[in-house]
Amino acid sequence: MNATPFQGGSRLTGIAGAVAAAALGLTALGAVGDPRQALASYLVAFVYWLGIALGALILLGALHAAKARWPVVLRRFLETIPQTLPLFALLFLPIALGLKHVFVWVEPAGLGGELAQAVAHKRPYLNVPFFLARAVVYFVVWIGVAHLLRRWSVQQDRVGGHALTLRQRRLGAASLPFLALTLSFAAFDWMMSIDPRFYSTIFGVYWFAGSFLGAFAVLAIAAAATRALPDHFGHHLNADHVHSLGKFLLAFTAFWAYIAFSQFMLIWIANLPEEVPWYIVRTGSPWGRVGIFLALGHFVVPFFLLLSRDLKRDPRRLAMVAAWLLLVHWLDLHWVIMPHVHQAGPAPSWMDLTAFVGVGAAFLAFLVFRMRGAATVPVGDPYLEESLRYQPQ
Amino acid sequence: MSARAYVVAEFAAEAPLLAAARALRGRGLADLDLHSPVPLHGADEALGLKRSVVPRIALVLGLAGVATGYVMQWWMVGVDFPINVGGRPPQSAPAFIPITFELGILFAALGIFLGLFGLWGLPRLHHPVFEVEAFRSASVDGLWLSAAVEAAGVAAVAAELRALGARQVEIVEDGP
Repeated sequence: MNATPFQGGSRLTGIAGAVAAAALGLTALGAVGDPRQALASYLVAFVYWLGIALGALILLGALHAAKARWPVVLRRFLETIPQTLPLFALLFLPIALGLKHVFVWVEPAGLGGELAQAVAHKRPYLNVPFFLARAVVYFVVWIGVAHLLRRWSVQQDRVGGHALTLRQRRLGAASLPFLALTLSFAAFDWMMSIDPRFYSTIFGVYWFAGSFLGAFAVLAIAAAATRALPDHFGHHLNADHVHSLGKFLLAFTAFWAYIAFSQFMLIWIANLPEEVPWYIVRTGSPWGRVGIFLALGHFVVPFFLLLSRDLKRDPRRLAMVAAWLLLVHWLDLHWVIMPHVHQAGPAPSWMDLTAFVGVGAAFLAFLVFRMRGAATVPVGDPYLEESLRYQPQ
Repeated sequence: MSARAYVVAEFAAEAPLLAAARALRGRGLADLDLHSPVPLHGADEALGLKRSVVPRIALVLGLAGVATGYVMQWWMVGVDFPINVGGRPPQSAPAFIPITFELGILFAALGIFLGLFGLWGLPRLHHPVFEVEAFRSASVDGLWLSAAVEAAGVAAVAAELRALGARQVEIVEDGP
């Protein structure tokens, strides 16, 4: 076990940083010609990667709340993913500056009919100053929790003992309701309000379900990628750790399907004029084929693959399924946000790719950068030994 | 069918118990079992147990439940007695999913519950090895091995178990 602070990764940070700068620069160029498309593509990429950071933060809080001991060995990596949240606060600026290109409620003057009425009715909530103030609150809560949990954990590397474990557990458990509420309202603000008529109370959980699954997928891929590197957590995982990650992937694949179907069925069966147009566009037009593909690719196929015990215990194959899940999770958010811009059907743009790669590469660069200065495994945690011996049954 | 007997042997510790199971399995005895009041780590490997078939039972019955749930609704409200619910067509797949899901879960759960009973040999309530008075300690503090043996080999197996360190060895005839 390497207790010295990690100092490597500068090459990966450099390459990912350069890719991020190039891809985000291209997206910015695209915004000059077609700001609506650029902003929408950017919004998909933003909520995709932000969701994964938040999913990791909520998982960290939940593991502390459960006093979980087996995941201690992978906890430092899990703590570091949400350290990218300050980056997302910065990446939120383009959205704040270009609000009017995506959110119709920003400039309601040109709207007519029921849309104008809906926007006028929701004015006390959907207005620019309150929208931005809420975003500030969300980021303050997220960054605060993420910062404290990791700081205490890193401090424990030096001092050891149980006191800091208790502190992390208290904050981890206490933060969960606040994380849940801020995540839910962020989903309402940044994705649901694109169509001001539409409302679904479960919408935040829908974003969470995909993002939480994404966080597990990132963990599984990182575990497989660092398997041969003695400095990193992947090297210390045994087959039972990998198996448990696989079980979580299976469980939350089913959870995503459960939530996605719950939202769909309630709206479909109630058939209310405010809600149902959202699904008419996404299931009726050529977007419906994307929806069917999601039901198969985001649920049926990964669910049956992940039933296999052998696959769940094989880091390489598990990482391949995880990569597939990350891919279809992007398609899921694309299907949620893009039909508002392209009502007639899917119209892929090169900016979808540059925004996704740009934000993703920035996320990766910042993540690796933030890994520096601390051990890659919580070496001061009293439960680390127990975690390394993990063998259920 | 030739007569069979059970040889049961008590061991003082876990290691010789598992070693004895491995040794008997090496002699070609397949019908072995271990009895212990606490979980035995390594017992599956010592007995050469294969992966449990319970997950497969659950999968097959779960899929059967899904098919039953869907076909039942498809036939009842779609074909046999079409009902107009809020103007939706009789064959409305989304409305069928919750029952389909529930029946899948129910069948899988019942499959696990009853399948385990079947694998345990229930409703058989008595077993010849219960004839051994000392065997009762298997649910208190005794570590026991039982082997089903052809009548001809009983003496050899009993001798081998003693050689392997058994504290006591008993022979029970199978049959009425």
